Amino acid sequence: MALPLTYNFRNVLVRWRATLATIIGIGLVVAVFVLVQSLAVGLEKSAGNTGDPRNIMIVRKGSTAESTSMVSLPQFQILHYWPQIARDAAGQPLISADLLCLISQPRIDGHGEANVSVRGLTAMGMVLRPQVKLLSGRWFTPGQREVAISRRLARRFAHFQVGDTFRTAATTLTVVGEFDGGNSAFDSEVWMDADEARSFFDRQQYSSLLVRAASLEAGRELIARIEADKRLPLLAGPEVKYYADQTATALPIKILGNFLATAMSIGAVFAAMNTMYASVGSRTREIGTLRVLGFRRRTILAGFIVEGALLAAIGGVLGCLLALPLHGVSTGTMSFNSFSETVFEFRITPWLAAKGIIFAVVVGVIGSLLPAIRAARLPVITALKSV
Amino acid sequence: MTLPTFILKNALRNKRRALLSVSSVAVSLFLLVTLQVALRELTLPPPSAGAELRVAVRNKISLTNLLPVRQRGVIEKIPGVAAVSPFTWFGGRYRNEEGMSFAQFAMDADKLQSVFGEAKMNLDGYEKFAAARDACVLGKITADKYHLKVGDQMTLASTVYPGSLTFHIAGIYSGTPDDRNMLFRQDYLDESIGQPGYVGMWWLKVKSADDMAPVIKAINAAFANTSAEVRAESERNFQLGFISMLGNVKALIASISTVVVFTLVLVSASTMSMAVRERFRELAILKALGFRRRELFAFILAESFGLAAVGALLGIGGAYLLYTFGDIGKMTQGIFVSFEVTPRIMGIAGLVAVLLGIVSALAPSLSVARMSVVEGLKTLD
Repeated sequence: MALPLTYNFRNVLVRWRATLATIIGIGLVVAVFVLVQSLAVGLEKSAGNTGDPRNIMIVRKGSTAESTSMVSLPQFQILHYWPQIARDAAGQPLISADLLCLISQPRIDGHGEANVSVRGLTAMGMVLRPQVKLLSGRWFTPGQREVAISRRLARRFAHFQVGDTFRTAATTLTVVGEFDGGNSAFDSEVWMDADEARSFFDRQQYSSLLVRAASLEAGRELIARIEADKRLPLLAGPEVKYYADQTATALPIKILGNFLATAMSIGAVFAAMNTMYASVGSRTREIGTLRVLGFRRRTILAGFIVEGALLAAIGGVLGCLLALPLHGVSTGTMSFNSFSETVFEFRITPWLAAKGIIFAVVVGVIGSLLPAIRAARLPVITALKSV
Repeated sequence: MTLPTFILKNALRNKRRALLSVSSVAVSLFLLVTLQVALRELTLPPPSAGAELRVAVRNKISLTNLLPVRQRGVIEKIPGVAAVSPFTWFGGRYRNEEGMSFAQFAMDADKLQSVFGEAKMNLDGYEKFAAARDACVLGKITADKYHLKVGDQMTLASTVYPGSLTFHIAGIYSGTPDDRNMLFRQDYLDESIGQPGYVGMWWLKVKSADDMAPVIKAINAAFANTSAEVRAESERNFQLGFISMLGNVKALIASISTVVVFTLVLVSASTMSMAVRERFRELAILKALGFRRRELFAFILAESFGLAAVGALLGIGGAYLLYTFGDIGKMTQGIFVSFEVTPRIMGIAGLVAVLLGIVSALAPSLSVARMSVVEGLKTLD
């Protein structure tokens, strides 16, 4: 015979003050857990969102970031007319040589400076990155000292609004447009003309090459051919994979999240236990009555565990709701991969929310286990006699 | 029965609840201390000895842009400058590891002692470092991690320059705030990459603290409007600039701390009022016996205060012991090297515990004060 769940449910409502405190307590723990993990998810999503599956990215062998990679002009020319590279309608090969430079710029809130990635790209570079869309203003003009900046990045720095000018490398650059990187790594970049950038940054080399393979088969051939060519100390791979591997920054955030979740959940288990013990204590007589009516020990045990789990689940949902307003809010930190400001969002995925609620239920079950055992073990007569 | 024993007996009559309350306070305060220490370590790195005389010079564009070698002569001639060394990031990976587990910098062998004199190393180590071009000195933490000793060979593949370099360990140093770095010789790096004529940064020592500001000004002015403008700043400002790059991490940790404190107050206050509500009848009897509201409040306050204090002692003390005697480098996988629980942080946590004790006692005291004796005696719960 199952204990009617309405009994447990209505009990949750009777001791509403203690219950509410426990629910809010668990809710806050879940909110912190979900928020910190959503940062890690946001970082990984932004890395995983970047690139076009048809593109092949080429960097110097051994380099771990585009800013420390070097590709020379002769290397670019060797690759230029390889048949594996797709061509546009005009017959031009879809290959772009980019320069990636880091510049130190003041933050908008006046709290010091941070490194920002400046990408110099050729006309083809824009064709190869269709996920980046212009939001306002216009794109930079090749040959001019003009830049377009991701809107999310622009919000974080002092001189990055359309119409602003800023100085770097003894040069004044004008912001002429704002773009949306579609939640990708390009949301953390300033874009400008590659050759103009090379001239005032005084760089003979490019940083990386990006090409569109004619087909998946051609892409594999291209990667193999670069690997085999002794003249080219380069490493080629799918663009999508290159960015997806850039997730080292998410690791410390995950460690922080797990540490917080562990420590706070221990506290939450104690709190839940306290509430449940008090709840069992004040219901001793009722429990005795239930036993006399024929409910079994294990039914009562299950009933109290369900009560704890229910309480915690409500807390879990509350926690997710508390965290939800921050979904999509963008934030930033220094990436350990690129050594520059990385903009990303809090991303609360359904799976993450589910994890938060499961986490809460586990806390609730652990917290109510001992009190439930106590309830089930109460001798009937003593229980009935108790005031 | 004396008053203190009465309070003690009351606090401990439900041992399980007292234990649970104390534990939840302890866990929360432990967490609070940990977060505060982490925040402090991130935002205020420990100053190293000699920092007040050291200046860091980087390319004005950003740290990752290089500086031409020709600047050295100009800097050395500036009055007040005692010694100048290049300082170039190598970004080497050791033993095919995925990430970089320690930093390596190229510098001048004969400037190690004059610029970074705080490192403790045998004099023999300095001599060996100056004698062989492929020599390097290694921080003790890294040496212990890989079981390396003087005379051993190590090969690092650079992520910044093409190829890899093999070094011989000339000495192992300790006594700096971060004994993990590896230092090797700029001339060895230059030779292997074909004398490019560029270095990463300049680090220099000034003769006295009074020379600091004029030297910084003179260096910045010397290269203004050249093709390689520089930013010279004190070591401290350089460190702080590095930290400002972390961006919103600070706000994140601060807000988590607030939530932890709030949760703590909520849960403890609820437990305390549970404990009081349970003995409404007794408190009513005390009232009938002639105890005043003030005295009843004192009973409740003393009890909640006592529970909070024991929790604080366990939580703060536990954090202090763990972080003072534990190996923080191992616990955080190298993210933190030092993790100092300062008296100030312990004070803040203690203050939170005191407030907690007071706030938790307030709500139950109010309801006790309001209740009439008859009502209290009738309570069954």
